[in-house]
Amino acid sequence: MAKKIDLKELDSKIQSMKKTAEELKQMGEDFPALYRNVSRILASIKMLELNVSDSAGM
Amino acid sequence: MISQQKYWNPVLETLAHEKIRKLQLEKFKRIFSWAYERSKFHRGLYEKAGIKPSDIRSFDDVRRIPTVEKSMMRGIQRKDPFPYGDALCVPLEEVSEFRQTSGTTGQPVYQADTWQDWEWWAECWAYILWAQGYRPKDRVFLPFGYNVFVAFWAGHYAAEKIGAEVVPGGVLDTQARILKIQELQCTAMMATPTYVLGMADTAKNKMGIDPRSLAIRKITCAGEPGASIPTTKKRMEDAWGAKVYDHAGATEIGAWCFECEAQSGGLHVNEAFFLVEIQDTETGEYIEEPGRRGKMIITALDRQAQPCVRFDSKDIIEWAPEPCPCGRSFRLIKGGVVGRADDITKVKGVLLAPSAIEEVVRGLDGLADEFEVLVDKEGDIDRITLKIEILKGREGERKRIEAQLKDQLRLKTNLGYNLEFHDYGTLPRYDVKAKRFKDLRGKH
Repeated sequence: MAKKIDLKELDSKIQSMKKTAEELKQMGEDFPALYRNVSRILASIKMLELNVSDSAGM
Repeated sequence: MISQQKYWNPVLETLAHEKIRKLQLEKFKRIFSWAYERSKFHRGLYEKAGIKPSDIRSFDDVRRIPTVEKSMMRGIQRKDPFPYGDALCVPLEEVSEFRQTSGTTGQPVYQADTWQDWEWWAECWAYILWAQGYRPKDRVFLPFGYNVFVAFWAGHYAAEKIGAEVVPGGVLDTQARILKIQELQCTAMMATPTYVLGMADTAKNKMGIDPRSLAIRKITCAGEPGASIPTTKKRMEDAWGAKVYDHAGATEIGAWCFECEAQSGGLHVNEAFFLVEIQDTETGEYIEEPGRRGKMIITALDRQAQPCVRFDSKDIIEWAPEPCPCGRSFRLIKGGVVGRADDITKVKGVLLAPSAIEEVVRGLDGLADEFEVLVDKEGDIDRITLKIEILKGREGERKRIEAQLKDQLRLKTNLGYNLEFHDYGTLPRYDVKAKRFKDLRGKH
């Protein structure tokens, strides 16, 4: 039987990743390799939000 | 095992319809506010209509929002921020991708995307490919010219995203592409229906290779309606020994609908990422029930650099009456995109959709894949000419073919045609989108 998907728990972990990525981005303003790679990670995190977080509260 | 999972997103793809609608409304409010606050073009349009973000509380409110047409985008572009103009919602330095429309209906429209938008494009395509059975074990061949047109770019990145192996067949000619597919035992590919048939023809008749002997077992089509026209789909599937799936997308919109493995005769709208409305072209009434055709008004709910909010696509679609047996709750549009509001033309006073002619030609045994339709005037009377080719070795069946063609065209389109038979291989061949319908009446 398929595992039950806990959207709220998934969303909580996604928001935690997002917070870390945003902090790293702020720390990388003088560090292009950090700043640009974290920007890409944030774009991927946005896809997690579209797939999970947007429907977590429904 | 991830590969055995049926859905790319088991939550969104099976969400109850009322929950999908709730999600769509929330997401619509978000993208509307985004466009209102950041795009001078959109804000101007909405202020003129007296609508602001806080006014949007229901789908009835959504319907009061003015639509955007391609011609309006043409009007604001080639200006600062160059070249996108006032619809751009992000600083230019955040734009990472440029694409443009093909210009089939006029001046091309430029499309800006951020990296997040590009991830979004690939995400939309990941839904498509997973639903069509693409999995990490697939080796996917992309026989298209990688250039300024969006074409299969996002299909490329989505194939990577789902874990498949991608073989970019860009600057190769058709024969070299077929040899590469053979050499690498590629299992799937993406192309326009015209090119899928053209490749099969080249393989068989110029190279002595039966496409069915190759390892391709899935083909994803786009750019033309052929993969949703049963007779054209059958020709492609028979030629390649592969399943052929349709999808629809556009540069200014994104990849908004797809056929799934169930091949139930319709395309699923990705309703978690797009809001599709259908409007009666005569009365302006919005159509909710199955079985009535209208033009599509579409919103990409998450695209940011150059938003697509209530875009009047001119695509003619209708909701399907039954849900798909695949279990997805995303609604189906019956028969895919069945035409364009600006494509359906009157000939001798009769409404004609060019796809109806394609359905007849591709369904007739003995005719080659290529054809051309010419509408002009003989004096004051419309004249419609259909140019077709008979397959090699079938020339003796011309009388039978001619009689069947006349009957079926009359039945399907209610029109009489001037039929022109040409030698096999003499009508124009196309590598991407074909231009088989030529209306010359305005040029007299």
